[in-house]
Amino acid sequence: MSKKKGQTKANLLKGIFVENPLFVSILGTCPALATTKSLEAAIGMGILFTIVLICSNVLVSLLRKIIPEEIKTPAYIVIIATFVTMVKMFTNAFLPELYSTLGVFISLIVVNCIVLGRAEAYASKNTVYDSFIDAVGMGIGYTLAIMLMAIFREILGTGAFSFGTIFTFIPYFKLQIIPKGYEISLFTTPVGAFIVFALILAVIAFIKNRKTELKNYRDRQEKIRKAQAAKEAALKAQQATNEGGNK
Amino acid sequence: MLDKKKIILTSIVLGSIAACSGVLIGVTNLITKDRIAINEQNKINEGMKAIFEQNSVKIEELSLEEAGITGEYKYVETFYLVKDENGEELGCAIRTSGSNMYGKISLIAGFDKEDQSFISLSLITNEQTYATTLVDNYINPLNDGDRILDDVSCGATYGAKLVRDMVNEGQEAALEYFN
Repeated sequence: MSKKKGQTKANLLKGIFVENPLFVSILGTCPALATTKSLEAAIGMGILFTIVLICSNVLVSLLRKIIPEEIKTPAYIVIIATFVTMVKMFTNAFLPELYSTLGVFISLIVVNCIVLGRAEAYASKNTVYDSFIDAVGMGIGYTLAIMLMAIFREILGTGAFSFGTIFTFIPYFKLQIIPKGYEISLFTTPVGAFIVFALILAVIAFIKNRKTELKNYRDRQEKIRKAQAAKEAALKAQQATNEGGNK
Repeated sequence: MLDKKKIILTSIVLGSIAACSGVLIGVTNLITKDRIAINEQNKINEGMKAIFEQNSVKIEELSLEEAGITGEYKYVETFYLVKDENGEELGCAIRTSGSNMYGKISLIAGFDKEDQSFISLSLITNEQTYATTLVDNYINPLNDGDRILDDVSCGATYGAKLVRDMVNEGQEAALEYFN
């Protein structure tokens, strides 16, 4: 039971950290660059993406023994496109501001490599529960990743955080972080998105490399320590033999 | 090579998935269509208020024939007669829709009754890939009076050209109504 629980936790965390779709697998970059101008839009995109991913993963897993190998890809595309269309219609009806802000990028979830990739690589081979957990992990991982990008872009590009323009059920508020006139509007443009994305990837690569270097350094130290200990032991044994011989 | 049985089975499976998808989308459409129509009407009302700078406006939808617009137009869809709270005519608005390889745009362009000139526009749907660039670099400056419709020099050039053509066509239709 606890082994199963541990597996579930690992499956969930895998999508958030180890196999983060955006920062590790570098998938789904197009919407990530286009919808991270504001934190609110990024949250909206993340939620819609997660809903589509969960629904498609669960259904693909449910039908994995029924769908013949030859028509796997077209069947998955039909399933994903159905959920995207439904999500699009619901967003247009109940969150029109989010629909206007994300525009064509809601429809483009259909061609997001993460959704089709998870259906093909994971959901088609695993149980419904595992596929659900995988989708939740990947969805949260992607949402957190685009939120991180949006935080940098909104603060640097507009100097403030504003809420309530897209999710109109939240009262509008604006939090000025950088004094007016000091914001760099470049960060709200596609160029700024690429810069932020590149910087985040560079930081992640730096942390990863540092960890590897540190591990290698520790391994080397351990090897040296062991070699020295062996040398000392040999020396002691030699001394003991010599002393025995002298006596 | 696939045998007959296999071909029939794959067809049935794919057909069933497609049929279920159709049913799901149909049900979703039934649930959302009224709400979407209300949202679009609200958007049109808000757009009219913004164009004519009024707190409330009365909108009368007329067919192109009723408005005396007989020319052949590519983008013009609907004609609106816009009046203020007291029923006094402020001008007219033309809804135009068009699309290019970057997506669809639907907008309302408002025209003043007095000098028969273009006032500003309001976007109803903007499904262009460069949607935000188009709004930031072209529509907003255009509505602020900073840009002449014939001049296109923004990042989303193709979207801007489409908007320009739609507004120009709307203006032709409006002039037909005024005269």
